[in-house]
Amino acid sequence: MITDQRHEQFMERIQRGEKIEATDWMPDEYRKLLLKLIHMHAVSEIMGAFPEKEWVPKAPTLKRKLAIMAKVQDEVGHGQLLLRVAEDLAAPLGKTREDLMEDLIEGRVKFHNVFHMESPTWADAGVIGWLVDGAAIINQAALLSTSYGPYARVLKRICAEESFHMQHGENIILALAGGSKEQRRMLQEAVNRWWESLIFFFGPVEVTDAARRMIDYRIRTKTNEELRQQFLKKYVPRIHSLGLTIPDPNLRYDEESEKWIFTEPDWKKFGEIVRYNQGPKSQERLKLRRFAHEDQRWVREAMVRSQKMQVV
Amino acid sequence: MERDHRVEYDVFEVFIQKTQADHHVHVGSVVAPSPDVALTTARENFLRREKAVNLWVVPKEAIVATSYDIPGWFAREMDRKYREVGGYSENARLWKMYREKAMKLEDIVRDLNRKPGYADGVNRR
Ligand SMILES: [Fe+2]
Ligand SMILES: [Fe+2]
Repeated sequence: MITDQRHEQFMERIQRGEKIEATDWMPDEYRKLLLKLIHMHAVSEIMGAFPEKEWVPKAPTLKRKLAIMAKVQDEVGHGQLLLRVAEDLAAPLGKTREDLMEDLIEGRVKFHNVFHMESPTWADAGVIGWLVDGAAIINQAALLSTSYGPYARVLKRICAEESFHMQHGENIILALAGGSKEQRRMLQEAVNRWWESLIFFFGPVEVTDAARRMIDYRIRTKTNEELRQQFLKKYVPRIHSLGLTIPDPNLRYDEESEKWIFTEPDWKKFGEIVRYNQGPKSQERLKLRRFAHEDQRWVREAMVRSQKMQVV
Repeated sequence: MERDHRVEYDVFEVFIQKTQADHHVHVGSVVAPSPDVALTTARENFLRREKAVNLWVVPKEAIVATSYDIPGWFAREMDRKYREVGGYSENARLWKMYREKAMKLEDIVRDLNRKPGYADGVNRR
């Protein structure tokens, strides 16, 4: 009975547009939905550093190397900020940051499909910054109004840095677009490689039960499809303006429904890639992540031990 | 035993002072095994671009805070316009009767940085 009343008051706060804080009472369902979302967001930021990190040693100029290094560092930083938010939510469930990281290497938490894919050319590094970050920014900007205060605050900082990622990615692809025939071909191939992943990135068209509940709780305010439409609206004309093509013969704007029509991605293939970590690069990148986590455990232990000894 | 290998860091709240004319402002938190490492982690997390002159890290337990559950704590018993600049907007209208403009703090600050003998915010007849 008391819980019902609390729940009702909680929903009233949400409906008034109030922000919920880590120390506030919250329904279990709210906590779990949030944790799932932020946990996945956090590990995706970390795994998102990998496809581009592969290009740090191979960047074409020193300036490009510095810039892509800064971007990779930002993504890991985003992961850290988000893990702080996630671990506070997880604490009452008896989970720690260590558990959250282990969930990633043990395959118990998913990360975004795009970060399972290959980035074989420099144009891929550019297209990731341009279109993958572009898609991620739409997602994250839509979350700025989330009902959970700690998430909203961290997202503000993240979005500010994402705007650098956007410019950075655009600058790379603009250089290629204005370059030689070979460079333009490389860029077109990268766009072809990433397109289907990008359409999948926003998630299923139908509003799942979990997504509906997240909207009820104002954790999210927009549906997957609304965000995908935003992406198409912003990016399709820009891609075309560079004289590039999009590998989807059905892609068109439908005046009547005021919507972009697109070919649905292979939901099954990508669904399995994220669920079972079986994309072309999933295992290789997770192996590196596991190495960072496990082979450096002794450093973490030593630091904690030396601090305890100092305190005593 | 199962959890023995787990390493748990402490949480430190992070405060950044941008210039010595500013107060330290809370920006978020980090986890770290010691205050020293917390300072470094905070710099890496929050100052990759922004400039600062000083950083504080404070153990989370050291923070004493009000509760969000008691909104009454911040309640205002009555209208406090009389404490605010906005509560005196009629001054502008009253000054007009004397062919003068209302003066604001910003005008004073600005004019202090100009050559003397030239007051801008004030209407010379
Ligand atoms: Fe990011
Ligand atoms: Fe990014």
